[in-house]
Amino acid sequence: MTSRRPTLVLALGNDVAGDDAVGLAAARHLRRAAPPAVDIEETGEAGLALLDWMTGYRHVLILDAVITPDLPVGSVLTYRQDDLRPIEHPSPHYAGLPDVARLARLHNVPYPDDVVAVCMAVRRPERLHEGLSPEAEAALPDLVAAARTVLQDWAGSEPE
Amino acid sequence: MTATAVPSQTSGGKRHVVVDPITRLEGHGKIDVFLDEKGNVERAYLQIPELRGFEVFVQGRPAEEMPQITSRICGVCPTAHHMAATKALDDLYRVEPTPTARNIRELVYNAFMLEDHALHVYVLGGPDFIVGPQAPKASRNIVGVLNTVGLEVGKQVIETRRKVREIISHLGGKVIHPVLGLPGGVSKGIAPEFLPVVKETAQQGLDFARFTLQVFKDIVLKNDDYVKLITSDDYTHRTYYLGLVDDANRVNFYDGQMRVVTPDGEELEKFPVQAYASHIAEHVEPWSYIKFCYLKNVGWKGFEDGPDSGVYAVAPLARLNASAGMATEEAQAAYEEMYATLGGKPVHHTLANHWARVIEMLQAAETIVGLANDPVTAGNDLRNIPTTTPSVGYGVVEAPRGTLIHHYETDEVGLVREANLIVATQNNAARIAMSVDKAARGLIHDGVVNDGLLNMVEMAFRAYDPCHGCATHSLPGQMPLVARVYGADGTVVHEIKE
Repeated sequence: MTSRRPTLVLALGNDVAGDDAVGLAAARHLRRAAPPAVDIEETGEAGLALLDWMTGYRHVLILDAVITPDLPVGSVLTYRQDDLRPIEHPSPHYAGLPDVARLARLHNVPYPDDVVAVCMAVRRPERLHEGLSPEAEAALPDLVAAARTVLQDWAGSEPE
Repeated sequence: MTATAVPSQTSGGKRHVVVDPITRLEGHGKIDVFLDEKGNVERAYLQIPELRGFEVFVQGRPAEEMPQITSRICGVCPTAHHMAATKALDDLYRVEPTPTARNIRELVYNAFMLEDHALHVYVLGGPDFIVGPQAPKASRNIVGVLNTVGLEVGKQVIETRRKVREIISHLGGKVIHPVLGLPGGVSKGIAPEFLPVVKETAQQGLDFARFTLQVFKDIVLKNDDYVKLITSDDYTHRTYYLGLVDDANRVNFYDGQMRVVTPDGEELEKFPVQAYASHIAEHVEPWSYIKFCYLKNVGWKGFEDGPDSGVYAVAPLARLNASAGMATEEAQAAYEEMYATLGGKPVHHTLANHWARVIEMLQAAETIVGLANDPVTAGNDLRNIPTTTPSVGYGVVEAPRGTLIHHYETDEVGLVREANLIVATQNNAARIAMSVDKAARGLIHDGVVNDGLLNMVEMAFRAYDPCHGCATHSLPGQMPLVARVYGADGTVVHEIKE
């Protein structure tokens, strides 16, 4: 079996769609002081394309924006694999992580042992524009801190 | 997010059914189905919300940024937007790409078409036909498809797609944000050590396309019920068709003139993209954010079939209908077989899009093989440098979902003053709306509504492979849609939503 890289931070978002870019912004913060064993990538893709990114890593941390009507903008949420439900009608462009994992396991594609998504609640963008809202900008350090916590946990579990 | 069925109460009278989010459709929207007192469909609507501001966002930006900006407005078709924008820059600066650059662009573009169509066949449309339209909801997905066609096929889908994407990445950088196209050329050639990989992947892609055609024949065409479904009146519209064609009127994904044929298959008009505004107009409805394109020279007569209505279609079946044939040998044979089987040209059955898509996979794969083995493709002359002052530029490609037009106007230093995009799903919007309405009327009777029937209503638009993400200038990766059925008293009697 080929050896796997330890950790990937995969930021999802669109940097011309306002707060949808909050995961990308967090990734750029993390990149300033990332440990050498952590790769940091950004993409606007979703669905099965995520499999291409995640293959070959032991741990994957996803940074993203989510729309949750019940929480204020800037709320930071952490989802573990068990928190996510499969989509009943997956799309090739919009498969959920459980669906991607299921496909990978069906075909012996080396899927990560652990996948965590750290997300910020945002409003649905209605207009193309660059830059985060003041609320998202203010909460960005919280998102970065939550991401660092996950990375530290994984670093602690790595063999010396 | 997970789609769940939520049956609702009714107190009698008219009812209303909504499908929201439309499952396995890119973008965001909902289907509303209104029932009358007898429980039959009075009218069904597809509605799409909009992400506004594209035209304002690009004003004052250098036109050279457009291939990067426009590829960001849609996470599903970034390569199509990138290529249409690149061709618009060629036109803006009145410069032709070098022969090597053109080959490289076509190589990347056909690779994208092959990859995207393969995903649709096996993942998006596959559950409808390979698993079955009325199959239990839990099995109408990629896993259900693989259980039918075999796990080995799934491996091939993943592996072929990965290798094809490597070609795109090698030449264009990240698949999601390609940086390949420049006015007059491309930014990078094929490294000599990568050429054997391209040739091997090209052959693998062709083998996979051949295999996929066989799968379609074995599983779909040998099933009488599926063939009846494809040819049923519920999924049939007699409209005009539009597609890009080469000098011999053959299907071309990358370049050519826009050809329109009538519902009887006769050529109505053929024009370069620069003349699109003289031939295509947009109609606005109060219930939808999307603008419905129609043929200006025929006119808007409402959501109607027939030669007097300017409604037209794009996407795989329309491309084949609007052409005189395919550009490659094996695809041409498959094209002839399809028309012989379905009664000649044009074919008006919306679900035949799935067959046409497989035929297009074959053309894309054969084209890749040809380009990979053409010595010109491996050349080093990658760009003609523009020397003219820019003013206006137009670009067009056939995206997997249909004709995609980019139109920019700039000042004398190339800063964008105005930009307009007409995307595939906008071209198809009127016919999709008609298809949803007709399928709902044909399938829902006497108040009987269930997930299987609603899935069959969704099939009416899924065949077009619509991507409302950029039709409404929306976001990548958003799924969504809701389907709701309303009774005559306005209460929701059935709902499927994310």
